[in-house]
Formats: sequence, structure tokens, C-alpha cells
Amino acid sequence: MEALTLLAWMFDGLLGLGLLWLAWRALTCPDLFRAIVLFIAFGLLMALAWVRLDAPDVALAEAAIGAGLTGALLMAALAKLHPTETNDNLSVQAEISRPKGRLLQWLPVVALLLVSAGLGYVVLSLPPYVTGLSAEVAANLKTSGVDNPVTAVLLNFRGYDTLLEMVVLLLALLGVWSLGGTELHRDTAPGIVLDTLARVLVPLLILVAAYLLWVGGHAPGGAFQAGAVLGAAGVLLLLAGWRPRVGLMAWPLRLMLVAGPGAFVIIAALLYMIEGQLLEFPTAQAGILILVLETAATVSIGLTLAALFLGGRPRNDKGLT
Amino acid sequence: MGTALTDSPWGVMLILLPLAGGMICFIWPRMAQVLGLVTVFSVALSVVGLAWQMLDTGVYRHAVGGWGAPLGIDLYADGLSLLMLLVTAMVGFAVSVYSAAFFEREDATRFWPLWLFLLAALNALFLSADIFNIYVTFELMGLAAVALVALAGGRDALGGAMRYLLAALLGSLAYLLGVALLYHGFGTVDIALLAERVDASPVVWAALGLMGTGLLLKTAVFPLHFWLPPAHAHAPAPVSALLSALVVKASFYILLRLWLEVFEPLIGSEGVHTLLGLLGAMAVLWGSVQALRQTRLKLLIAYSTVAQIGYMFLAFPLAAAAGVAAWNAAAYLAFSHALAKAAMFLAAGNLLRFGGHDRIADLDRVVQRLPLTAAAFALAGVSIMGLPPSGGFIGKWLMLEAALVQGRWDLVAVIILGGLLAAAYIFKVLGYAFTQADVVHESRAVPASMEWAALLLALGAVLLGFLAVPVLSLVGIGDPFGASEIRP
Amino acid sequence: MSASFLYALVGIGLFSLSLYGLIVHAHLLRKILALNVMGSSIFLVLVALAKRTNEAPPDAVPHAMVITGIVVAVSATALALTLMLKLTAETGRAELPDDQRESH
Repeated sequence: MEALTLLAWMFDGLLGLGLLWLAWRALTCPDLFRAIVLFIAFGLLMALAWVRLDAPDVALAEAAIGAGLTGALLMAALAKLHPTETNDNLSVQAEISRPKGRLLQWLPVVALLLVSAGLGYVVLSLPPYVTGLSAEVAANLKTSGVDNPVTAVLLNFRGYDTLLEMVVLLLALLGVWSLGGTELHRDTAPGIVLDTLARVLVPLLILVAAYLLWVGGHAPGGAFQAGAVLGAAGVLLLLAGWRPRVGLMAWPLRLMLVAGPGAFVIIAALLYMIEGQLLEFPTAQAGILILVLETAATVSIGLTLAALFLGGRPRNDKGLT
Repeated sequence: MGTALTDSPWGVMLILLPLAGGMICFIWPRMAQVLGLVTVFSVALSVVGLAWQMLDTGVYRHAVGGWGAPLGIDLYADGLSLLMLLVTAMVGFAVSVYSAAFFEREDATRFWPLWLFLLAALNALFLSADIFNIYVTFELMGLAAVALVALAGGRDALGGAMRYLLAALLGSLAYLLGVALLYHGFGTVDIALLAERVDASPVVWAALGLMGTGLLLKTAVFPLHFWLPPAHAHAPAPVSALLSALVVKASFYILLRLWLEVFEPLIGSEGVHTLLGLLGAMAVLWGSVQALRQTRLKLLIAYSTVAQIGYMFLAFPLAAAAGVAAWNAAAYLAFSHALAKAAMFLAAGNLLRFGGHDRIADLDRVVQRLPLTAAAFALAGVSIMGLPPSGGFIGKWLMLEAALVQGRWDLVAVIILGGLLAAAYIFKVLGYAFTQADVVHESRAVPASMEWAALLLALGAVLLGFLAVPVLSLVGIGDPFGASEIRP
Repeated sequence: MSASFLYALVGIGLFSLSLYGLIVHAHLLRKILALNVMGSSIFLVLVALAKRTNEAPPDAVPHAMVITGIVVAVSATALALTLMLKLTAETGRAELPDDQRESH
């Protein structure tokens, strides 16, 4: 199988070089718009790398959140940063800083080359064959309630990390909202292409999200990927000019945003009282509990990501919510 | 009563209560202030409960999810964690009472959820025994802190918040790369297991370099302190108190914990702890000199924080020979600095509310017009200077003792010089507080609760001067500093 | 399983590249981009080295850590971007304000 291994090596090598080149271009391009596009391409290439590394769950999450939603957030920020640019002229020049003086310019480069060399040496000094925690994960997978090891780790073995991480997402929204409100009205009517696309894609995206949520128990997928797809649907709706009804903006919205981490906290507390350990799932109910948690998480994550894209606390006519 | 108290899940409540409180405050903004105060009060009670439990049964360890390390995440508290949790509860409670009067209606609904999540992050960090979990708590803490700084609005606060966010994220990412290397080197992210498996290999050196740099950046140790003065000075006063007293100590705590447990095989080599001591000494001198140069009160107090953090790093070279004594000194300094610095910032907030400005030269006869606030500042200053009786004095005394025993005259000189410089900038402020300014300013009333919160914290810092024995015996639970050289 | 070491080294390279970008650039959007690339680079190191299990499926714990990290990264990015916009609205420039001069 010489040719296949050689082919695999070439592919990985090209992918690695591609990642480095795209990152370099994204970081040094004078045009900010192009830089963001290059970053999104970098994210998609990264998703490809995850597939090559047998990490399909991570690939889904990276494509949806890392490349997709982060790219959308960056674009939205750029548009707000330079609102006077018209739709046609999308090039936004921002100067690349050049530190003054030859020494100052080369010192960080040399230092970082040394750091890379050191870290590279350290990485290569690691043993080539090691199991890590995969043995423990495999041994306990049956009692975890799901078949997908990544979901088991995320929602059961290290569920406490997931709880905190969902609070981090909520906290980011809190921070964004505390920085200023935004008007709910639409600025321009969407073109016919965007309008039709939204009408077709959004129900499809919701279906895909539901599928990803369900399948996450035994195949790549899960709450975060599903939530990200829901968030993408939300972003598409917002881009197409849809704005939710004002009455929905107060506590129903907040309740749904809190549903994910809130469900986690409630179930954690209940399980403590019943089982004696925080977040200890009884084996028989583990699967159901994980599905409940994931559903709540999907709703929250989708809403939070869409709200982050909107970029400000929705204001109704009476004042602030 | 004994069993009920010791069986209750105090540790778990310390994390779940503020999380739940924060979420409810978010859903129900109208009740945010009341709910916030109730939550902080119950957290304070829980810490007392945990202390009671730990005095009874020793270290607290809880395997979340029932799995236990290395598969699951463990919560772990020994004397050092308990000390940090206590100081968090004390400062947190005082600042909460202060904030209830400080923030107006609109700002209050934004403040309380953010503060409660910050409290949850702090508690989760001090209780965590898993280095990846600590990364997540760092991010939670960082985002909450940045959002709180930005509450003040305006160019200075927003600039300070942005700088803080970038520095915090860079620090966390450096830390995370270290976590990645440690996990792939030793197959676990649990601190206790890592302590068993670690050896003096290149992986551990790289992890020390990365995590150390990241944590030094987060603790604002010279020369990585650039982000602290703008962030702490321009934030709203209660937020400044929380940041200087608690948030900055969290990364120091993690650095200390990792140094004692995970990087223990590397301690023998001279280079690293000499470097840390050198950075600490420069922080003390540079921070104090910069504080002396300031014309604005909150910037002066922020630079004072930079200096005081330096003292804690002097323990690293001293601990090589003096061991537990040096670490006890650092812990005591951390505790008393937290109380004193929080009191100072709250007092500065009172002055800001009163006069509308915080220019030191224009502190118009504050002693007569705001006697409680002036007393709070003076008492806190006593601890910062290291005068007896105060917690600061005990901490500095222990550190001086350790330095003298080893003949480290350079460190003795730094400690004494630092104390003199601190006296200089404290007395500078107090001097202006006694004298009449050239221009008379309009004054606003300062609510009594704000003055009392500052004063009580300052009294606490002074009171620590009398409580050395009980506090140090509390810190000794679980033997965090390895006095007996046996791994717990 | 040298493919995993290849990707891990790419990750190290990306880390240094993005660190350079973070330090050198003044524009806040570029700094935020650099931080994102830095996060991705660390995730690459985490997942690449998890594949050293030969023929067996890779270690799932780093995968979970990276998914957590991706969510944390997007949260931080969102807050950073909003803060940047607010700061630009105040100062007119998307850069960290020069705090050399003391405002009285």
C-alpha cells in the first residue's frame, strides 16, 4: 500500500501547508473584508483536518461554529465598523502595523522562531503510541447512556465542564447586552434571492438541527452542533429582515436562553439530592436525561448564537426589556 | 446538629447557588438586587459551613458525576482553597452591600447577574482539581470581569476593558497549550494524578513555560502588568475592588497550586524561582514608584496592587529553603491585601461619589466631611504599609523572617524599601485628605452602607493582625504546602 | 501514526504565527482574528496528538475538550467584537487607546 500512504502523506502535507498559508494571509492581508473571508476558508480547511484526524464531531462543530458563526460575527462587526461602505465596494483597507526600527521588527520574529522550535521539539518528544483516556472511556461507555464516546464525555463523564461552558456562552450574551441595546426595526427589505433562500433553508436547517441532536447519541453530532445549525437558521432569518414580535422579547426569550444551563443546574442539584454525587446519572435513566439536557442545550445555544449575531439587547417601543 | 452540618453539600452549593442566582437575576431583572444580596449571603453561609465541615473531616473531595479522576472531574478543597473561598465570601459580601447602594436601577440589572457569575467562577476555580476545568473557569471569570469593567462606559473604561480582555484571552490560551501538552504527556488532567506521574522531562518544562507565562500575565506580574492599571482604575469602584482583591489572586492561586503539585520535580533547579523572585522584587519597586507618581487616586491604588502582588512572588525563592513559612507568608499577604485593597477601592468610590472626581490634590478636607471613608482608607493603608497591628504586618513579618533566616539581604531590602514607598504614597493621599483644596467642589451625599462596607473591610484587614494562629492553622488543613513531604 | 505529529507541528506553527499577529497588529479586528487562529492552533495540537492510538479509534476526551474550547472561543469573540465596536464609537479608531498621556 505504498502509493496510498504516499498519497495520504501528500494530502496531509498539502492540507497542513494550506492551513499555514491561509492563516498567514488572513493575518497580513491589508483588506479586512478579504482577511475575514480567508479566515472562514481557514476554518473550513480546519474542519477538513479534523475529518482527517478522525474527529467528525469536532469537524461539525468547527464548520458550524468556528468557521460559520464566527465568520458571520466578524462580518457583522466589520459592517458596523464601516457603515459608509456601500454594498458594491466591499474592500476595507486597514493599515498593517510595521514596528519601528530594525531590532524591534526582527526581535519578535526571532523569539517566536525559537519558541516554535522548542515547542516542536517537545511535541516530537512525546511517545508515538499512547492510549490516553480512551481505555477508560470505552470501558464506561455502556453505563454512560449513549454510544457516541464524545457525547458521553461531554454530557456525562465531564458534564461539569459542559455546564460551565454553557454559562460562558450565556455570559457572553449578557456582556454584549450590557454594552448597549439595538433597534428592532428592519433597515432594508431583503432582495428576492435572500428572501426565498431564507424561506427554503430555515425549515431545512431546523430539521437538520433536530436530526443532529437525535443522532448525537450514537453517531457524530450532538447538542452543540445542532445548536449551531439552529443558530445559523436564526442568523439567516435576521439577515432576511425578520424580527421577532416585541411581546416575545421579555422574559420568554430570557427563559429560553437560560433553558440549557438552567436545566443542567436543576438536574445537577436534583441528582445530588437523589444520588449523593453532583451530576451522577443513574445508569437506567442516563440516556433520557442526556437527551433532555441536550435538547434544552440545543435551544439555548441556537438562540444565544443568533442573539449574539444581532449584537445588542432587543429594545421594544416602551423602552428597554 | 454536627452530622447535619458536616453532611451537607457545602462545596457543591458554593458553585450551584451563584449560578442559579445569576440566571434568575437575568430572567427577572426587577428582583435582581434583592436576589443578588440573598444569593451572596447564602454563599457566605455555605463557606462557613464548608469551613466547619473541613475542620471536622479534613480535606474536601468530591467526584463530580461519580466517576472520579482521571475520567471525571474532581472538586477538591484543602486549607489554601478554603482560605481563598473565605476571602472571596467576605469581600464579595461587603462589595455586594456596597453595590446595592452604588448602582442605579438600570446598571443594577446588568451588574448583579454578571457579579453572580463571577462569584460562581471564582468558587468553581478554587474548588477545582482539574486543569482543563480550571481553563473553563478562567474564561468564565475573564468574560464576567471584562463585562463588569465595561459597565462604567466611556473611553477609559472601554479601553481598559478591551486591553484586559485581550490579555486575559492570551493568558488563557497559553495556559491551554500547556494543558494540552501535559494531557498528551501524562494521560490525565487531574492535578493529583499529574503530581504522581510527572517527571522532569521537556514536556513538563514546556508546560511550565507556557502555563507560567499565561498565569503571570493574568496575575499582572511585572513586566506583564500593563493591562491592570487602566482596567482596575477605570472600572466602577465595587468592580475595581473585586478585581484587585479576588480575580487577580485566582491566577496566583493556580500558579501556586501547579507549582506545588505538578511542577514539583522542577523546583530543584535554581533558575525558575530566582526569576520569579526577581520579577516579584521589580514589581514591588516599580509598582510603588509608579503609585507615588500618580495624580488620580484610583490609578494610585491600581499601581499599589501591582506592587503588592510582587510581595507574594518573593515567596518562591524563599520557599526553596524556608518551605512552609514562606508560603504561609504569601497566603497571609494575599488574604490581607484582598481585604485592604477592596476597602481602599470602596473608599475611593465613596470619594468619587462625594466630590465627582478622584484627583488626589483636590481631596478637600475629606477627613472632616467623610470621616468613615477616611478612616477606612487609613486603616487599609496600615495593612498595605505593613504596620502593626494588621494582616499586612503579619504577612510581611513572616516573609522577612524567612528572608533573614536564609541571609537573603537583597529580598529584605526589597521588602523594607517597598514598605517605605507604600508609606510614602499612602501618606501622600492622607495628607491631602486633611488639607483644604484650592477649589471648593460640589458634594453629593454618600449612603451610609457604602461607607460602612469600606470601613468594615478595612477593620477586617487590621483584625487579621490578631488572628495569625487560627488563620494559619486553617490554611494547614490538608497540608497544601507539603510540610510533611508526604503526598496527600 | 506520524500524521498526528505532522498536524501537531502545524498547530505549533500556527500558534507562533498568530502570536506574532496578535502582538504586532494594532487594529483590534486583526487582534481578534489572531486570537481565533491561536485557539484553533491549540485545538489542532490537542486533537492531532489524540490520534496516536494506532488502529484503535482516537481518544475522545480531547475531542470533547476542543468542542468546549470552540464554544468558549466564539463567546469570547462575540464579546470582544462588541467591545471593539463600542470603543470605536467612543474614540473613532478601532485600536487600543494610547494610555501614555494621563487624562486629568
